[in-house]
Amino acid sequence: MMLSSLDELLIYAGVTVLVALLLGRRTAAGWMVTILYGVQLLGLVKMAALGYGGAAVDSAVSFDVLGQTLSWRFDGLSWFFALITIGAALLGSWYSCGEWERAFRRQGGNLWLFHLAMALNVLSMLILLASGDLLSLFIGWELVSWAGFLLMAMAGGAATQAAMRYITYAMAGAMAIFGGIALIYVSAGSLQYDAILTAVERMDTTHLWMLVILFGAGFGVKMGLLPLHLWQAPAYALTPGPGSAFLGAISSRMGLFAILLVLVKLFGIINIERLKIPFTLIDARDLLAWIAVFTIILPTFTAMKQNDARHLLAWHGIGQGGYMLLGLVVADALGGAGGLLHVFNHATYQAALFMSVTAVIHRTGTSDLNKLGGLVVRMPLSFLVLLVGIIGLAGLPPMNGFVSKWLVYRSLLNQGMPLLFLASIIGTLGTILSVYKLIHNIFLGQLRVEHEEVKEAPWSMLIPMLILTAIIFVTGLFPGIPLAWVASALQAIGLPVPDITLGGVQSPSGSLDMIWVIGVLFGGFGVGALIFYSAGRSKRVHQLDNYAGGHFLTADVRYQYSDNFYAGLMHLIGGWYRGSFLWLEQGVKSLVEFLSLFMQGIYRRANAEFYLLTVTLFVIAWVVF
Amino acid sequence: MSGMIVLPIVLPLLGAFLLPVLMRASLGLGLWIGPAILVYGCWILGSQWYGGATLPFSLAIGGFAPPLGINLYVDQLALLFAFATQLLGLLFWPFKLDAETPRRQALMLLLVAASTGLALSGDLFNLYVFYELVAVATFGLVAASATGAAYAATIRYLILSGIGSVLTLLGITLIYNQAGTLNLAHLAQLAPERLDNSLGLSAFLAILIGVGVKAELFPVNTWVPEVYATAGSRLSAFLAGLVSKLAMLIILRLLVLVFHQPEAIQVMLVLGILGVVSGELAAWRAKDMRRMLAFSSIGQLGMIFIALAIPDGGGLLAVLALALHHLVIKSGLFMLADGWGGSLERLRGAAKASPLAAALFVLFSLSLIGMPPLPGFWAKFTLITELAAQNSPLYLIGLTVFLLSTVVEAAYLFRVAALLYRPADAETRPEQLPRPGGLALTTASLFGAGLLAATLFVTPLGDLLIHVSGQSGNAALYIDTVSPGIPGGSR
Repeated sequence: MMLSSLDELLIYAGVTVLVALLLGRRTAAGWMVTILYGVQLLGLVKMAALGYGGAAVDSAVSFDVLGQTLSWRFDGLSWFFALITIGAALLGSWYSCGEWERAFRRQGGNLWLFHLAMALNVLSMLILLASGDLLSLFIGWELVSWAGFLLMAMAGGAATQAAMRYITYAMAGAMAIFGGIALIYVSAGSLQYDAILTAVERMDTTHLWMLVILFGAGFGVKMGLLPLHLWQAPAYALTPGPGSAFLGAISSRMGLFAILLVLVKLFGIINIERLKIPFTLIDARDLLAWIAVFTIILPTFTAMKQNDARHLLAWHGIGQGGYMLLGLVVADALGGAGGLLHVFNHATYQAALFMSVTAVIHRTGTSDLNKLGGLVVRMPLSFLVLLVGIIGLAGLPPMNGFVSKWLVYRSLLNQGMPLLFLASIIGTLGTILSVYKLIHNIFLGQLRVEHEEVKEAPWSMLIPMLILTAIIFVTGLFPGIPLAWVASALQAIGLPVPDITLGGVQSPSGSLDMIWVIGVLFGGFGVGALIFYSAGRSKRVHQLDNYAGGHFLTADVRYQYSDNFYAGLMHLIGGWYRGSFLWLEQGVKSLVEFLSLFMQGIYRRANAEFYLLTVTLFVIAWVVF
Repeated sequence: MSGMIVLPIVLPLLGAFLLPVLMRASLGLGLWIGPAILVYGCWILGSQWYGGATLPFSLAIGGFAPPLGINLYVDQLALLFAFATQLLGLLFWPFKLDAETPRRQALMLLLVAASTGLALSGDLFNLYVFYELVAVATFGLVAASATGAAYAATIRYLILSGIGSVLTLLGITLIYNQAGTLNLAHLAQLAPERLDNSLGLSAFLAILIGVGVKAELFPVNTWVPEVYATAGSRLSAFLAGLVSKLAMLIILRLLVLVFHQPEAIQVMLVLGILGVVSGELAAWRAKDMRRMLAFSSIGQLGMIFIALAIPDGGGLLAVLALALHHLVIKSGLFMLADGWGGSLERLRGAAKASPLAAALFVLFSLSLIGMPPLPGFWAKFTLITELAAQNSPLYLIGLTVFLLSTVVEAAYLFRVAALLYRPADAETRPEQLPRPGGLALTTASLFGAGLLAATLFVTPLGDLLIHVSGQSGNAALYIDTVSPGIPGGSR
């Protein structure tokens, strides 16, 4: 048996798990696993041809169980997602080494479990990404779910509660998928991709509808698609810092990967478009697009109301998933590329943002947006990281988030979907407002007295953050680099591929060249700087040296409020926040409680003896007469 | 060589009667007798499997050929369950030493003998006799734990079981009345002309409900929560793990050989679905570990009934896989519940006191839910593909219920797991935390090791189960084996 480079990669990931398991209690364990993630990345680089349209790499391992063949393989799509996974793990793990882990241990955290959970997450994600048939996909899916549960639950307390909620949702999703797999197996006679491809072609619409709903909902749970999104924000936010950076970067994208594989590659967008919803003008594809749009809007505006930085970011993670799905459902060259590129871009800035917020927590002990402020002078580099991150998140130039969102908008306009376009713009508006709240309440505004002595985050944390910042900027300047990988991934799932240049895309309906955009932008900055520095000398004062109306303000006077941010806006839209989904969730829970009570009542009170006697009498009567 | 097969029935039976006397003579010797008999039984059955005899074979007892005489029918399925009986008897052996020891050990031997007989019997009358013996032995064992609650639970169990037996007997009488024989192979030949009518159907239903008392069939399973919660956990493990499956075996044989009416399996399907719904939902609110496990066991057996209700033997593989899986898991879980009785709230922080037990609980729970690649996943996979293939609304409802109940199952099992790993109250000292006893934990670890081994060797295990279920679903083979000369044996 010859090991392929995929097998090597999986072995590296397995070794990482083993090292975390066996040596995880040593002092240098963090560095050891970080180096091993680096080795995994090298293993991935060895397969770099996959990122440029190379042929799929098969694993040498396959199993036959109960008449099913399980096999594993890597193609362009898997490679693209694996790159993000391992990259996020590497930087997240690096970030955790050194000072963060000492602080974590001081607070009673279980570092061994943390490293182990991270390594398990990476391994299970790679297994999922490598799945070569629907059954191995499901196995990988379940492994990812439970590994994620471990990472989310390990902080204890509220985090465990959130993780429990997650696993209930995830199980419901997994069971929907399991049901879908059973249905596919019956109609295709096999769970191999080829067999499914041919079976879908001759499938009637009812059957296909059922499959689209089952798989869409099942995979949608992990993506946090509406209305299955409630679990995600608390679960991610309460995971220990670097863990939430990792989860926020990639975990829920596993749902998108599976949707791409099953709904787009196996079922085909054309077949999904065939499914009309009776009595309306829309079909299943439009339905997916609208779900994506609502997933953008509602969680984004929920994020705006959050008063904890981590929760705010985690809610955005849900919303940004909507853009990815939206682009991929539009499924033309620009939309598909935009959706997939957004996976990469989102991973970079989301990880950077979570890391920056964790750095603030590390120094100040809180992520409560009402208890921070004015840290820009104390933690300038963390501020820079957060600034770059939120520009990316809001989708503004010159950062990478702009490119992917531009591609999605462009494709919506090209395909004549103005309503969807408008709706996604509303989502972006909410993003901009809420990320401003984030940066203002942490870094701008009035410095608190208790934070006067706060120092910049340690270098062990800053270096990974700055690397991410560089990636965000560079891939914003040269989006052609990740777009090449995206093109390879699009090819692997059979979607059209755009014409890529180093600075963006070339297209008859509108091209984008970021090198020009950024050049012009920086030209503008240069003009601004000239004006600023030619205005003469300015005087530097201490941050706590403040005056109002000619009076000196002592440091304990709060003259600037971060509480009840956007009061005016909330006055206008506050009525829309009704918690309908929470109500729905509670309703389901109450229903189960009620039914459970009823069933227990049956067991406590029912007289089975009585039934038995009745049946006996009936049978005797039957025999006699 | 094949005559040896009676020994695993006869020896424990003999032991059961002699043990009290022997123990009075020499306690030291008496204590060794029971385990020795069971080890010998395991060895005999194991050697029958590996080359001792060509399977399946039939053994006429007393020299009269069936259908006149009674016979034992030994195929892989029967042998598997007989072996499991002896092995579990050994694992759950009541080692505890007190005044009740002779009685308890004798009853345990009786239970093993009767259960083995149940697995191997080839005619309905013998099945009934062994079934009654099982009942008698369990009454004694449940009552032997000698608490008030146990007596109350036993009384209920006794009444239900008694009526169930009457109903079973009624069904058997009807069959005899129609067919004039109780030999299963003979019945299989006569069934198409004699029993394929409404009287035959009512006979089957009577047996189904009657035997269903032990197989935890809804709605005659109301004894389950109380008995499992009050009886010793070793006994609960034996009852939930094994005895329920043996009752299931009777129904399986009847379905394969005698009854092929669609109404029969429909009734079973509906009752199975109700069992899953009621069991899993009731477990959601259960406030103590053993009740939770009892309700979960009802749900799991409901799933096996659903699998059994798949026509034309399509579900046999799923039945077998689910039954064996549940046997291992529930036995292991009940062993853990040994030290974790009482309110669930008490378990807070118990992982600290016994990390191994908590890890085993998580392992068993994951497999029970069907987390791949643990064996539970493969068992459930075989079930849902068969259910989906039926393409009839009732089976699809069964599929939906099955999937939804799995979500509920995951929720309540992992609520407990989270409780185990939550930090204990500050004032609770570590030694106050509940923990399973050493023996129970060792037994549970054995089951855990078995589970992991099955995960690793799932490919050969799957092939084996396919073979076993194929053999047990082959009615013509059964008839040919028991009465080779009779023409038309291959119906």
